[in-house]
Amino acid sequence: MTLQSDPERKESKHLHKFADFTGKRVLEVGCGEGRMTWQYTKETHTTIGIDLDTGALRVARADRASDLEHNVLFTASASEYLPFSKETFDIAILAWSL
Amino acid sequence: MVHTLAEIRRVLVPNGLLIDIRPLMDRWQIEVTSMREIRQTGRVQDFPVGLADDEAANHAIAQASANGWFSGGNQEYFPYCYSWDTPAEMEEWIDTEWEDFVALDEETKRVTRSAWALGDADARVRLQVKMLIARWNVLKGS
Repeated sequence: MTLQSDPERKESKHLHKFADFTGKRVLEVGCGEGRMTWQYTKETHTTIGIDLDTGALRVARADRASDLEHNVLFTASASEYLPFSKETFDIAILAWSL
Repeated sequence: MVHTLAEIRRVLVPNGLLIDIRPLMDRWQIEVTSMREIRQTGRVQDFPVGLADDEAANHAIAQASANGWFSGGNQEYFPYCYSWDTPAEMEEWIDTEWEDFVALDEETKRVTRSAWALGDADARVRLQVKMLIARWNVLKGS
């Protein structure tokens, strides 16, 4: 199958229009395989993606570039009980997940 | 959903930013496209469950805003396009990936197949998903 999605990268353009990710600590809720994560994460201080789909998280970790291993993390977590201290992030993204 | 928003508010710094980006059910447009032309061939049919999900998400955001958790709510819409080489590939994708949310009626399938078959050599099938992106600032300290 020759599926193409968002060839004009409108999602990325809108993400960057709505937020400046430079140096920010970002939480992405519903990161899945990291498709959206890779659109902004190189600019961030840290990115943590959460999802309940452990198979998708394995793909995200496998796709993570070696230079991002320390500042991009993926973890299985429910969005209703986030395993983080208060005021940990500058930006939260609900990625196709609300 | 409201609990998720409460948790997000908890882990965001004061004046932190929440970006809500998601597809909205809107009988997404189907087109046959080539370098030379774009032909609209129909729309998908939305299932009630998807519409209910959108309504629940909108309600949760409205509730969070009413609670004084977030302010702003600047939003825009944009198309997120999927395209396939053939109508059959699109039909297979919809039947396997989106079967809980949308479907194609027989007339739309027929018109799309016909337009593609009679189209240019570079003709593809495209579906435009309506996307919402909204930006909210977290409110704290009251």
